[in-house]
Amino acid sequence: MAPEAILSHLHRADGSATYTHNGYCIIGAVNGPIEVQRRDELPEEATVEVNVRPAVGVGSPKERHLETLLHNTLRSIILTSSIPRTLVQITLQVRSLPEEEADCGIDSSLAILPHLLHTSLLALLSASIPLSTVLTAALVAIPSVSSSPLISPTANQLLRAKPIRSAHVFAFSGEGKLLLNESDGVFSLQEWDEAAEAAEEVCCKEEGGVGLGEGMEVDGKEGDNLDAWLREVVMDKVKWETRWRGAK
Amino acid sequence: MPREAEISLVERDFIQKALEEGVRLDGRDFNAFRPVELTFGDEFGVADVQLGKTRVIVRVSVDVAVPPPERKFDGVFQIITEFSPMASPAFEVGRPTDAEVILSRVLEKAIRRSNALDTESLCIIAGLKCFALRADVHVVDHDGGLIDASCIAVMAALQHFRRPDVIVEGEKAIVLSAREREPIPLSILHQPLSVTFSYYEEGNIFLVDADLAEEQVRQGEIIVTMNRHGEICQINKYGGAPVDPLDLLNLNNIALQKVKDMSKFIQQKLDEDAKRRDAGGLMAELSAENAR
Amino acid sequence: MATSVTVVLPGDEVPKSSLPTPTGKKKTLTLGPGLRHIPPDTITATIAGALTTDNKKNAIWIDTNSGRYIPTAGDLVIATVQNSVAENFNCLLTPNTPYASLPHLAFEGATRKTRPVLAPNSLVYARVVSGGKHTSPEITCVDPSTGKSEGLGPLKGGMIFKVSLGMARRLLLKSKGEVIILELIGAKVGFEITVGRNGIVHVDGANVKTILAVGKALQEVDEQALGEKGQKKLAERVLKSL
Repeated sequence: MAPEAILSHLHRADGSATYTHNGYCIIGAVNGPIEVQRRDELPEEATVEVNVRPAVGVGSPKERHLETLLHNTLRSIILTSSIPRTLVQITLQVRSLPEEEADCGIDSSLAILPHLLHTSLLALLSASIPLSTVLTAALVAIPSVSSSPLISPTANQLLRAKPIRSAHVFAFSGEGKLLLNESDGVFSLQEWDEAAEAAEEVCCKEEGGVGLGEGMEVDGKEGDNLDAWLREVVMDKVKWETRWRGAK
Repeated sequence: MPREAEISLVERDFIQKALEEGVRLDGRDFNAFRPVELTFGDEFGVADVQLGKTRVIVRVSVDVAVPPPERKFDGVFQIITEFSPMASPAFEVGRPTDAEVILSRVLEKAIRRSNALDTESLCIIAGLKCFALRADVHVVDHDGGLIDASCIAVMAALQHFRRPDVIVEGEKAIVLSAREREPIPLSILHQPLSVTFSYYEEGNIFLVDADLAEEQVRQGEIIVTMNRHGEICQINKYGGAPVDPLDLLNLNNIALQKVKDMSKFIQQKLDEDAKRRDAGGLMAELSAENAR
Repeated sequence: MATSVTVVLPGDEVPKSSLPTPTGKKKTLTLGPGLRHIPPDTITATIAGALTTDNKKNAIWIDTNSGRYIPTAGDLVIATVQNSVAENFNCLLTPNTPYASLPHLAFEGATRKTRPVLAPNSLVYARVVSGGKHTSPEITCVDPSTGKSEGLGPLKGGMIFKVSLGMARRLLLKSKGEVIILELIGAKVGFEITVGRNGIVHVDGANVKTILAVGKALQEVDEQALGEKGQKKLAERVLKSL
């Protein structure tokens, strides 16, 4: 199943997106470029602030860890030097998690990371913040028993494939360059290579990629990958914004 | 420190002039709420309330904890409100604004201290184990009327929530998962709801459910919380210009009507949701097994 | 309906074939919002939207209708005065952004002795003089070449309405923006309208009802993307209610 996304649905925020995939639902909002507080001001570039808010309770070290990862990744794609001395504020509110999330056998912060990355990217696109490139991310899990890695698995698939030996998150830029990698568990270098290749295929292979959108093929389309999905989302956004041109 | 931008003089004058002529900006009646939408998530205990452009999501969750020593026979119930910059860049994480403090206090008084939830029913083993229930209030979009919207969302989420069943054997308690036994609804004693009145012109004009622009122009607010039986849980007037006490009586009557309508609305949405869940037949199947 | 639109994502290179073919005198290519030039001759997109070109002006830009207003020199805006310091008024173009400065002398007929007095939170219609990224924006209420206000200055009375940035642009485009509702209503009722590029429309009229009706009608055209027919219907409904 391809992820579902709704863009620019909040009234107050400059950009917003609600993203639903594999049981994860996250609301993202971006404010910016706005005034930055003196103590955070950078003379040559924009300050990026990421807030991750869990569905239950207030932030814990786990959220802080995710914020750091997101901050470093997003800062590298936002053209911070083109909006110096301003603040880009990204807030991600986790709305719901899959039911089996707690016992699917992999680190929960790894499982949610690709979804958080996608949500923040969509919200940034919605806010028209200048970016140098886009990003796509995927989770790859390698189970102990069967040899084939699971790509962007649902929590249920993970539960059934238990025990999981290692889990990897890869994020790629629009040009197919590796932006982020987080790996957890026991794995050989060869396995990591395989996982990286599998993730790259889902994220950004130009043609003939093994897609997430197997469901899409039914509609007579080619197997889609995440890059194609992203283009579709933006296409819809443009259509929505320019619908007055053809209106009766 | 970031601050909410103040409303411009032009808007202030116009809103006041329009109110004098009996017109609200969105054409509503003085005593009318904005259109309310209430949806429930796939999980139990998640309520998403939209009041005009304001949007609040409440999520109720449960954990097992040790009851406080001074209240051995009670469970724990907390309502947590924290604004995030999502609703407005003026909200800073970890630094509550006045609105946030007022919201959490009103919810505390309106729902927790009015005993809307029977906390004794959350007790598992006296003095040793109890359920700790928490309601997280997430403000996603802010266009005024946060108190009323949050109150609706918290009450709807509490009524929608199901807690896991437990078996107690002596000192041992086993919490059963949803697969083992159908979770049970909370025991709710009554359903308090809030109606916020904003007043203008030294208390000559009262508005129900002001939006953000109207809130910024008002002289003061009066928050009335009651249940549909007309039992008042709290009345709040945070400073502002003086009001005629007789007007308060009148406001209570209006509030009662609004609360009745809103309770009916929540119940209707809960019924619809129950029907939707039942359509799969899974819950029906489970409950049939339990009955045997 | 516009023919096929090219939708670009940040990082996409603009192919040479999509560049405008200059028909006018101007030979240098102008890059509008959302594009950047990477020397020697690569042009890439920085925001997501529809690629739009103007052959006459030899310009290319990305059309989008979301995000915050970014001050650009030459734009007409409605600003809120926050306070007055030394020689300037501090103004807000959008909430929570650095102040834009409006010199006390940038009004028609203003001298050191007769400065305009503007209370905090009052509105002015102004033109953006500079919107550089390294300095805070500067705005003016006077045309520097003629010394006349040319319609700029403090806004009093009436009411402001928020519309999308795209709608504000359409309103300023006049006939090309395909907003006919104003003429339809204006044929029967008199009102005055001021449009700021920062998504604010100021409407003044004879009474509260007229002002509200015009403002709400504009917002409805914006939100529901009403075409010609829809706008005609809406105008009839508005006129009936007045």
